[in-house]
Amino acid sequence: MQASNTFKKAFLKRMLLGLQLAGFSSKSMTVQERKSAIKLSADVAMACARGSANWSRAIIADLSKQEKNKVLLRSILRKDYERLTRPCHHTWKIPRSKKILKRSFRVCSRRRKGLRAPQGLATSVLARVLVKKRTRVLKRLVPGGESLDGSYLLDETLDYAISLRVQVDLMQRLSKAFEASKVGSHNVCTFQAREDSYADK
Amino acid sequence: MVQWLEAPPSDFTPCLHGQQQHLPNSMQSLNDADDHETSSNLIRIHDQIGSHGNGSPNPAATKYLTIGAATIGEVETSIKEQSNYSRKRKVENISNEKVGCGSPAEDGMKDKRVKEDIGGGRGAAQAGNKKEASGDASKENAEPPKTDYIHVRARRGQATDSHSLAERVRRERISERMKYLQELVPGCSNITGKAGILDQIINYVRSLQRQVEFLSMKLTAVNPRLDFNIDNFFNTEINLACNSGVMPMIDMPFEQLDPSYIQFNCLHPTAACCGLDMAVGSSDTVPHRTMSLPASDPETILDSSLSVHGCSPSWNTGLQNLYGVEFHQGRGPAFPFQSLQGDILPHNLEMEM
Repeated sequence: MQASNTFKKAFLKRMLLGLQLAGFSSKSMTVQERKSAIKLSADVAMACARGSANWSRAIIADLSKQEKNKVLLRSILRKDYERLTRPCHHTWKIPRSKKILKRSFRVCSRRRKGLRAPQGLATSVLARVLVKKRTRVLKRLVPGGESLDGSYLLDETLDYAISLRVQVDLMQRLSKAFEASKVGSHNVCTFQAREDSYADK
Repeated sequence: MVQWLEAPPSDFTPCLHGQQQHLPNSMQSLNDADDHETSSNLIRIHDQIGSHGNGSPNPAATKYLTIGAATIGEVETSIKEQSNYSRKRKVENISNEKVGCGSPAEDGMKDKRVKEDIGGGRGAAQAGNKKEASGDASKENAEPPKTDYIHVRARRGQATDSHSLAERVRRERISERMKYLQELVPGCSNITGKAGILDQIINYVRSLQRQVEFLSMKLTAVNPRLDFNIDNFFNTEINLACNSGVMPMIDMPFEQLDPSYIQFNCLHPTAACCGLDMAVGSSDTVPHRTMSLPASDPETILDSSLSVHGCSPSWNTGLQNLYGVEFHQGRGPAFPFQSLQGDILPHNLEMEM
């Protein structure tokens, strides 16, 4: 499963923008702050490049809960910010009456017990419990997964995993590029010289 | 192909109107594959199903055949007479009959076809439709054209009520997604069972997230000042664009560079310097320019790579030639990214000269 090239390009573009803005906003940061700024810009870039998906909206919503991130987010995303923070109706959890849910659950389980051939109850129950446990864990892992269920959750996981892969790949390349450029120290010198000359003007 | 017959009940009603008394009899007779029908429509349906029945007679298949009535209205009255049939099952069998009528050549008894019909903005699932079938017959028939269908056939020997069918659809969907995820996650192909696959998926996603954390830490370590030296972005960007899996070297041979990138990159060497200034944060005018610059996005950053490139020898000759050629030409052809704002460009050119 491959992510599309447009996604990668958009991702890179946003990431660079985000890194610049994050870098500019404060010159003296602690290591933790810098790291979280970089991570933030990476996540936002990923979410923005993906566009409208449940997990991408969830990421942006989570990040904008903190006020200090809001400004940064806004400047990174600009017009996409409004688009991505708009409430998305089809992902709202449908409010269901508990009474009806309980009744239908009872009916379904009774039917299920009647219809299924007895196949070693202990193992099937155990399997079901395990699966339930793991879906709960998965829901916590995937951003915005709490409100999803079943095949939708798996869809989102698939999407999210692909984007994460692209993110990891991109960040690896960036770090390698920076390291390589650091090694070439004369590059840095040129940069300094130029910067001085422009500062004089 | 599974086809729905969406003929309104009026076609069948006249034939069956006075036949209510005979219905129970006809049902029994259908079970025996007997030609005891009372209407031409029934005969037609029965023949087609009868041919199936002869080929593969079995008690489960006859579940489809138990209803002789083709109208939902008729079925409902007969439902009340016969206590051992659930309402929903009746509707289900009618639907299956209609399906059988439409495609007699299929061996539909044995396999299951699930088709999601998403024609023209339709709404509800079939299971939902079935539940509504207890209402008006005509209303039921008017609704299907507007609603979303999941065409399902019950498997041989399986229950045919809508609950279990809907469950089966849901389970098939989930297992399909599981298969995709199995392909995605490396090392998962030999694992069977939902729990194991989910375990692998969870581990994979967790490891990816941890990698992101680690890499962001690495990036802060590499660049303590957060002033990202930008000439490497050119490489990264080119690399992505060319869709190569190899990490590019800094001194990439000139021929490999995509000419369109080079052109547009050469054009705005000075705009990039503003970006660099911004990173260093030297003067008062910088913040102002910062506001306008982000709009021009990474193409300026990419461009600056060429302005800073000066020292790497392998780039020098080729790119300086390009500089000579392109620099005075103004804007070049199609840019991969959105174009630079016009007002910045002349200002920066002045600055350079």
